[in-house]
Amino acid sequence: MLKFLLKRALLTIPTFLALMFVTFVAIRLVPGDPVEVRVGEHGISPERLAQFRHDLGLDQPVWLQFWHYVVQLLHGDLGTSVATSQPVLAEFLTLFPATLELGFFAMLLATLVGLPAGAIAAVKRGTWFDQVLMGLSVTGYSMPIFWWGLLLIMFVGERWGWTPVSGRIDLINHYFEPRTGFMVIDAWLSGQAGAVKDALRHLILPAIVLGTVPLAVIARMTRSAMLEVLGEDYVRTARAKGLPAWRVFGVHAMRNALIPVVTVIGLQVGALLAGAVLTETIFSWPGIGKWLIESINRRDYPALQGGVMLISAMVIVVNLLIDLLYGLVNPRIRHA
Amino acid sequence: MPELAIEQALPPALPSPLRAFWSAFAENRGAVIGLAVVVFIMLLAIFAELVAPHSPVEQFRDAVKAPPVWEAGGSWRFVLGTDSLGRDLLSRLIFGARVSLFIGLSVMVVSFVVGTLLGLACAAFGQLADVAITRVMDLIMAVPSLVLAILVVAILGPSLTNTIVAVTIVYTPRYVRLVRASALGELNKDYVTAARTAGVGTLRLALTTILPNCLAPLIVQAALGVSDAILEAAGLGFLGLGAQPPTPEWGATLADSREFIRSDPWIVTLPGLAILITVVAINLTGDGLRDALDPKMRRS
Repeated sequence: MLKFLLKRALLTIPTFLALMFVTFVAIRLVPGDPVEVRVGEHGISPERLAQFRHDLGLDQPVWLQFWHYVVQLLHGDLGTSVATSQPVLAEFLTLFPATLELGFFAMLLATLVGLPAGAIAAVKRGTWFDQVLMGLSVTGYSMPIFWWGLLLIMFVGERWGWTPVSGRIDLINHYFEPRTGFMVIDAWLSGQAGAVKDALRHLILPAIVLGTVPLAVIARMTRSAMLEVLGEDYVRTARAKGLPAWRVFGVHAMRNALIPVVTVIGLQVGALLAGAVLTETIFSWPGIGKWLIESINRRDYPALQGGVMLISAMVIVVNLLIDLLYGLVNPRIRHA
Repeated sequence: MPELAIEQALPPALPSPLRAFWSAFAENRGAVIGLAVVVFIMLLAIFAELVAPHSPVEQFRDAVKAPPVWEAGGSWRFVLGTDSLGRDLLSRLIFGARVSLFIGLSVMVVSFVVGTLLGLACAAFGQLADVAITRVMDLIMAVPSLVLAILVVAILGPSLTNTIVAVTIVYTPRYVRLVRASALGELNKDYVTAARTAGVGTLRLALTTILPNCLAPLIVQAALGVSDAILEAAGLGFLGLGAQPPTPEWGATLADSREFIRSDPWIVTLPGLAILITVVAINLTGDGLRDALDPKMRRS
């Protein structure tokens, strides 16, 4: 078991190195003078240029520059944002809780609706419920979510006025210092009346938009996993014993159908982060997705480089964890 | 009548593979509808000049933000209305079909070919090639699709061509993985050993012996790959990082009119609807293909 853990963990090291290499090369491929790209100044005098070149280590051989870059990264130094002069890591960490909060509620919605919907569709296979749900599911994962977001803003937010359409909380009525970065928790800690409710209301539309694709995928996946399990002997036995239907489907069958579904939920992390870029842009949600787009528009390449680096590293780590968990649950994988 | 007797004695002819495929495909009603819609949109894209009532870039200054025909003040001159520059929305959507399908198909073709070759190389050219290619693909898959596409576009600059390049890079690993997995599975089968003993070279072994047996899941992936590429490119276009104006790309068209979401909602609604219908149709077709080609993957 330990060998399996170590082997899987060690396998990610080349991937991390390659990731560092790619981000290192990427910023060098950006058109324009590398100093201007990094310092964000135009028309600098030759002396200053030479000074910057030296300060940034650009007068050293490339392999040495790469080495310095790796050492810097390992020390947690991801460079400095041109736009804000803040360390990229610090900016990322300030904004990340917003994305995490949004992603959490999106996945919560997707799981709470997708799991039972998919399971019911499998049990009632071929009925109108099944057909409608599968139709909705195809629509869901075909959805251009930026358009879906705009539609929801247009109807639910503007025309019917049910929910707020941008930001994380109503700053006029509720202002407090962020403590954890998670608005719902901060609102609760602030003790202000109605703050938590307001934060949750701001979450509704973005969570629906970001959760739509995962919801469709989970519902579909649960349905097919359930269908497979329903044909098993132990399900028939459970039924023959006269157990109530909810126990047969909800406990005996569901528990086994969940294994592939849980993996799929885990693998949605990457897709979720990609979706967050669009969702946050539409809802002015101050997370890392919106920050990434702003960095591009401001030509803030160090921020872009660091952001891509951190996001990818996160996906690699999460995938590794899923792999390990899967190995723990299923010994057959461990020994493959 | 001796001829008739002979005819009756023959076993019934096996249906041709194509007909067998079609009857399996046609079992899925959604897939047939999806295919019909896809064919319709393709025809629109091919004959856009003939079908579209106006040029997609001509600005009718006398009819800026004209409402569609079913709204008050709409006219048959601009069936779906015009955008903020007075361009006919219907014409832009029809020409946009050409742009989106072009993106989807070129991404699919390039990533299919490159991915298949790399996947076969993994299986056929030994451990070193396998490890190197697999690592690189793992890396590409670790970066969330849109984030990777954004990075590529940031380096290359936003344009239609670079959108295709970016999305192709994002989707190539899928084919590599698929081909690698099925080719490795085929590699130990008897017919491969037989071919090898007969002296078939590595290249021919990979391309003519193994590849045809890995095709079914690849074709399904290719169909779904077109719709994913269209969505991805529309997302980039929406963020302003894809096709640049005045290209009538659907995502970009939608982004152009975002500010009119309150006053003139149809300018925002219609391009998105075009994307959704196209992508749903392609996905339904892909599901049908899977059911017909790959009974193992059948979603019962």
